[in-house]
Amino acid sequence: MSRRIIIVEPRGLAPWWLKLLIPIASVVAALALGALFLMLTGNDWIEVYAKMTDAAFGSGRGFAETLVSATPLILTGVAAAIAFKMLVWNIGGEGQLMVGAIAAAGVGIWLGGGTPPIIAITAVVLAGAIGGAFWASLSAVPKVYLGTNEIITTLMLNFIALNLMQYLVLGSFSPWRDPEATQFPQGRPIIDSARIPEFFHRLDWGLFIAVFVAILAWFVISKTRTGFEYRIVGDSFNTARYAGIRVPKKVLGTFLLSGASAGLAGSILVAGILGKMDPRSLDLGLGFTGIIVAALARLNPIAIIPVAILMGALNNAGPALQSIGVPTATVKILQGAILIFAVAGEFLIGNRFRRPRESVDETPEPAKEASAA
Amino acid sequence: MARNKWRLLILLAVVAMLAAACSSSSDEETTTTAASGDTSATTEAPAGEPFKVAFVYVGPTEDKGWSWAHNEGSKYLEANMPGVVITRLESIPEGPDSQRVFEDLAADGNQLIFGTSFGYMDPMLAAAENYPDTVFMHATGYKNSANMSNYFGAAEEGRYLSGMAAGARTESNLIGYVAAFPIPEVLRGINAFTLGVREVNPDAEVQVVWTSTWFDPPKEGDAAQALLDNGADVIAMHQDSSAPGQAAEAAGAGWVGYNTDMSEFAPNSWLTAAIWDWGPYYLATAEAVKAGTWTNEPFYGHMSDGTVDLAPFGPSVSDDTKALIETRKQEIIDGTFQVLPDPIVNQDGVEQPLGDIFSMDYFVEGVIGNASG
Repeated sequence: MSRRIIIVEPRGLAPWWLKLLIPIASVVAALALGALFLMLTGNDWIEVYAKMTDAAFGSGRGFAETLVSATPLILTGVAAAIAFKMLVWNIGGEGQLMVGAIAAAGVGIWLGGGTPPIIAITAVVLAGAIGGAFWASLSAVPKVYLGTNEIITTLMLNFIALNLMQYLVLGSFSPWRDPEATQFPQGRPIIDSARIPEFFHRLDWGLFIAVFVAILAWFVISKTRTGFEYRIVGDSFNTARYAGIRVPKKVLGTFLLSGASAGLAGSILVAGILGKMDPRSLDLGLGFTGIIVAALARLNPIAIIPVAILMGALNNAGPALQSIGVPTATVKILQGAILIFAVAGEFLIGNRFRRPRESVDETPEPAKEASAA
Repeated sequence: MARNKWRLLILLAVVAMLAAACSSSSDEETTTTAASGDTSATTEAPAGEPFKVAFVYVGPTEDKGWSWAHNEGSKYLEANMPGVVITRLESIPEGPDSQRVFEDLAADGNQLIFGTSFGYMDPMLAAAENYPDTVFMHATGYKNSANMSNYFGAAEEGRYLSGMAAGARTESNLIGYVAAFPIPEVLRGINAFTLGVREVNPDAEVQVVWTSTWFDPPKEGDAAQALLDNGADVIAMHQDSSAPGQAAEAAGAGWVGYNTDMSEFAPNSWLTAAIWDWGPYYLATAEAVKAGTWTNEPFYGHMSDGTVDLAPFGPSVSDDTKALIETRKQEIIDGTFQVLPDPIVNQDGVEQPLGDIFSMDYFVEGVIGNASG
């Protein structure tokens, strides 16, 4: 047996302060590494961070734009979190968002111009949720009844959704394509009364729908009997089965709700800032970024809200940094660094390090590095 | 189970990060290569009252294609207008997210903002409404307002001439055309090219393959390969990448590029290309805005004003062909030759009125393919 220098072992339950400290320390460490990187590439890191903060939070409009970017990420984050919590590996948020957008725009075009806003907006927003749930069901039903691997099916369905969306606008004269845009194919605008009103710059009420969904998800999971059963399923399918919980039904329900949340992100974009189903504006990796948001938030729907705002801020800081001469790639490196540090921090919450014992009677000493990251 | 769950989650998060980075748009993906250049840096102004001009590009400026050509124009402006301060933002995705970028630039005090991709049209229009004291110039679009206008150029003039070079080069009498999207701009190019081909070689035909991309080197290279496999011995293209040229070079076929002189990528295959020179127009526009004489009259540049030109010829273009092309070029400049005649013979061999070239939706005789994609 080879000698190991450090032994990694599960920590058991981490104290609450460690759970809070490690994610914050991860972000700080990532920013410190980023500062080093900026210095090595000849940039003034203080100026860069000041500009990033200013662009994302420095003005009313900047903060509104940060929240605009955060809104779909909250919903795709919730979509990933509730699925992953139940051991459902739905990585199809991307495609579910797109199909949600297709459904939402379809209803928004089909409704007559005279529809009252409250009905039109509700119909369009719900259509997105249903569209997303439908797309998720294409993976969920085979998983539950045939045992197919949902990682593969949801991933593949992302590409089908993308091509379907492009076909509807770029490749055909479907009702989704604007007949008046002759120079370049564009989505047909939905009726005005189906648009979610803006209340501060470009920020619309969709933000509150997203926040409400996140809080609702948290409440149902943590505070209700149904949520308790779901949590048992999430800990172990077998335990749940022994406890008399009908696991397939729960898995199906989780999967559909996850798809509905991602679809909602699509419909809020269509009814909000987009006003149409525009393929170029929906192919931004929002579903995949939602997985990152969910992971950083440790699958806690409430924590998803601040994490999504942070990701939105990082996204918006990119072009602002270019205007002071920093390439967008630098922002991507910072984003990547934050994720990697957060993932590493996650490992430290669940595990601790110690030196191997030299003799039998030496007591194990927990390593101090655990809290230093 | 719970520990495995975290491991899988971490793995998924990392995969999602990669996917999110790749899916946003292939333009953005190449930012890393562009980041090494110094083109995105803000330029320091010489002494005097600064006049701030911003350029927003959809792709990386190092693509040697569309964005590169516009960036060369911005450099010309920089060199010829004392006191101008230029901000360049590259790889900015189209769609409503770009509105924030345009508004940030206006808020930063830029008096003139150029956006060089079609998908910026509506976001620029909205930004122009919010910043009435800033002039917005949109390339390739058709909407204008009190402080916004649009500009483009007659690439078809250069296309016709490059078609003559292709028609002289082909021996199989089949020319492959890697086309972007079935929109009037692209159709004009294909039609003018084909008319040029058939002026020197009435038996030759042009086969069109659509990629639905502006910049996706692997896909465009594959499309060129498919055309070569089908018997084409000259490749023409519309997109911003040099991949079709590299496929042609490997197959020993001829290549007609677009946007810029790309001969360095396929020196033996290179025939010529329709290219852009935006510099003089950018200078004239900036001076008009500064002097207060700017109007929102749209601009359509021609070979006669230097906006459109023909790239230097490759080694396989014979002196006879060069002389023939030069003669035609002079006639186009003098206005004695129309590259798109009225009436025009369509794909079915039927003579029809030319119609509005900005909403062209048909192919001319000699094109193999479907004009609606």
